[in-house]
Amino acid sequence: MAAALMLGAVAVPAQAEDAKTLASTVCIACHGEDGNSVVPMFPKIAGLQEEYIVKQLKDFMSGKRKSDVMGPVVANLKAEDVAPLAAHYSSLKMKVGEAADKKAVEAGKLMYQDGNETSGVPACLGCHQPMGAGKDIYPRIAGQQSEYVLQQLKNFAAGDRSNDPNRWMRSTAKRMTEAEMRAVAEYLAGLDAK
Amino acid sequence: MNKTLTTIILVAVASLAPLAASAQTPVWNDIKGEEKIALETKGDVGRGAVGFEACQGCHRKDASGRVSGAYPRLSGQHATVVIKQIADIRAGRRINPKMEPYSDDHALTPYQIADIAAYLQSLPISADNGKGPGTAGAAGKQLYDKDCATCHGDAGEGNAAKFYPMVAAQHYHYLLRELFYIRDARRANANPMMVKVIKSYGDADLEALADYMAQLPPPRK
Repeated sequence: MAAALMLGAVAVPAQAEDAKTLASTVCIACHGEDGNSVVPMFPKIAGLQEEYIVKQLKDFMSGKRKSDVMGPVVANLKAEDVAPLAAHYSSLKMKVGEAADKKAVEAGKLMYQDGNETSGVPACLGCHQPMGAGKDIYPRIAGQQSEYVLQQLKNFAAGDRSNDPNRWMRSTAKRMTEAEMRAVAEYLAGLDAK
Repeated sequence: MNKTLTTIILVAVASLAPLAASAQTPVWNDIKGEEKIALETKGDVGRGAVGFEACQGCHRKDASGRVSGAYPRLSGQHATVVIKQIADIRAGRRINPKMEPYSDDHALTPYQIADIAAYLQSLPISADNGKGPGTAGAAGKQLYDKDCATCHGDAGEGNAAKFYPMVAAQHYHYLLRELFYIRDARRANANPMMVKVIKSYGDADLEALADYMAQLPPPRK
């Protein structure tokens, strides 16, 4: 009885410890030491909304979000690891990068703030907030790797990524040209959501 | 599933009602199905504010729409009007491909529509709407007072109970586009009474009307 109580009492810190171990032994390989991936195709996960990280991990685990990279990784993840991992990475600070293609930034900013009235692309800031900080279910996108953003937009447009609530991102990305996707991805790379 | 069942029940109930109303003119607003559910739901302004976040990308954070007229101002609009228009778009009675994926039944429930409509109605109305040339206001007022004020109100305030939209302080280019659509039978859910009234209007008349309505200040609520 006493042993059971003690086990119960230490269970939460143990999980948080497990999460840190996982982060520093598994996640680190692609997402970097502090969640700020330096590999363009891998997303930065530091400072993302906790609720968003939970959803993505769960979706990878259930197959709702498919990824050849994340698939095998989450296969070894326990359900109880999800919440502490999300809390850990959400508490870290995202490091903002720089646009590789400076010429695309202005067009990207316009796209981000106004969308495209002709083709009906909503402005990104409507959901992701004026400076890309995100809110609740809408993830932070400011400072994200541009190559990753571009790939996700393409995946949404093609329907290869389909775990967006209410099909919002699929509906939106489908209306975007590749040039618009690139421009907005470049703009986001250097956007600092303070 | 749930929706289908509700529809079946509502249709069954409706078929028991006297047919007198539907026998007269073509029914412009046959309140049933999800429109009825949304109208009978007491919308929650707080939940509506959260729901509206997904609409802000086009209609802007303050629901002021776009000065270009691409997207209308929705702030202050009667909740009944918003509910009817979304229900019409969802049912294919108003064709709006830009809005459709963001407002159809995988994006919103009728209860969420009621919340968002309540929220929009509660918002203050900006007077910074897109204006017309400002030169045809007098001619527009003459036409408006003669043909439009009876339904849309002397001050353009609309009529919530009758589902007539507030037109004051709406963007000029949006008003103009919809006037053309309604006159030229391109807006499927146009009120037949209105179509009849403006059928003989020339392009200049419609421009004058839009010019006048866009200049009308936000009505007091």
